[in-house]
Amino acid sequence: MGILFTRLFSSLFGNKEARILVLGLDNAGKTTILYRLQMGEVVSTIPTIGFNVETVQYKNIKFQVWDLGGQTSIRPYWRCYFPNTQAIIYVVDSSDTDRLAIAKDEFHAILEEEELKGAVVLIFANKQDLPGALDDAAVTEALELHKIKSRQWAIFKTSATKGEGLFEGLDWLSNTLKSGSG
Amino acid sequence: MFSLMYGFWKYMFSKTEFHVLILGIDKAGKTTLLEKLKELYLNLEGLPPDRIVPTVGLNIGRIEVGNAKLVFWDLGGQPGLRSIWEKYYEEAHAVIYVVDANAPTRFEDSKSALEKVLRHHDVQGAPLLILANKQDLSSAVSSEEVARYLDLKKLDERLYMFEAVSGFDGRGIKGSVDWLVDAMERSKRSEMLRSRTPAA
Repeated sequence: MGILFTRLFSSLFGNKEARILVLGLDNAGKTTILYRLQMGEVVSTIPTIGFNVETVQYKNIKFQVWDLGGQTSIRPYWRCYFPNTQAIIYVVDSSDTDRLAIAKDEFHAILEEEELKGAVVLIFANKQDLPGALDDAAVTEALELHKIKSRQWAIFKTSATKGEGLFEGLDWLSNTLKSGSG
Repeated sequence: MFSLMYGFWKYMFSKTEFHVLILGIDKAGKTTLLEKLKELYLNLEGLPPDRIVPTVGLNIGRIEVGNAKLVFWDLGGQPGLRSIWEKYYEEAHAVIYVVDANAPTRFEDSKSALEKVLRHHDVQGAPLLILANKQDLSSAVSSEEVARYLDLKKLDERLYMFEAVSGFDGRGIKGSVDWLVDAMERSKRSEMLRSRTPAA
């Protein structure tokens, strides 16, 4: 899997520094996904500004992960991580139907950010292995993805623990970024 | 005074933006068509057809034709994803409906999906371009035959055109886009959309 990923992304950005944000509510499965991709060591840091950002550097691409939701006081600091972001991977716990409304609000709020206007959006409807998980169409509905009209998006059913769906999603991402329509 | 003049200038010379929905059932060739449009009008190298995967979301393409700016919204056509189409109707100036002319076994599905689109209140008055796609394949049926198969009764009062195209080699595309732009520029729906949305 790691090798496939290497092939997928190695020539994608040339030597340009690029950033992919992996976002979602806590417990959506973001870190598990990063581990599954086996790109490198996940380094967890708690910067002095007070929120926890995990970073995986893969060649010139930085994958950065943090939880949305919660404390509003630290939100302005999120912006430190916005420049040069080519893509956002939004991870949702598809079985946590109680919090889908919050996941939706947080998602649309972050898409409003000026510096993220050009980023394409990949949604992982994660935890498909759990009973009661909503499918891709239902998650699309719940997150109101149709409100996105000026950027490309795609949704994939995933199970991070089983490793399913992740590479299909990343394949879409690499194609989309390559065709220059991001 | 200056802002008045500037406003007038903008009104006269800014390009009108049109939103064009690309719909059709899965495997019709919508995304391949979109990539070909990008290639034909932007001189960009589109994604090669063998790298195109089924769409599970929204693909976007922007081109300019004369004084018109076209924004294409290409949506996934798998049965479970068709429910999202209608969310884009309200803001669409026109609809391109793609049919795989090489798959007669799926004409029935294609027909009922199109009828459902046409019944929807939010796309009333939108010019409709129906493309009999995959004409590069020798077994593909003509646009007349596709029209006969679809046997659309709802089309009477709508501005529409059937055209034979190939998203693979590009035949028929430019001519049908010209028709579409002209149709959108003349359509009452465009006027209606313009008066409703603030000039961006």
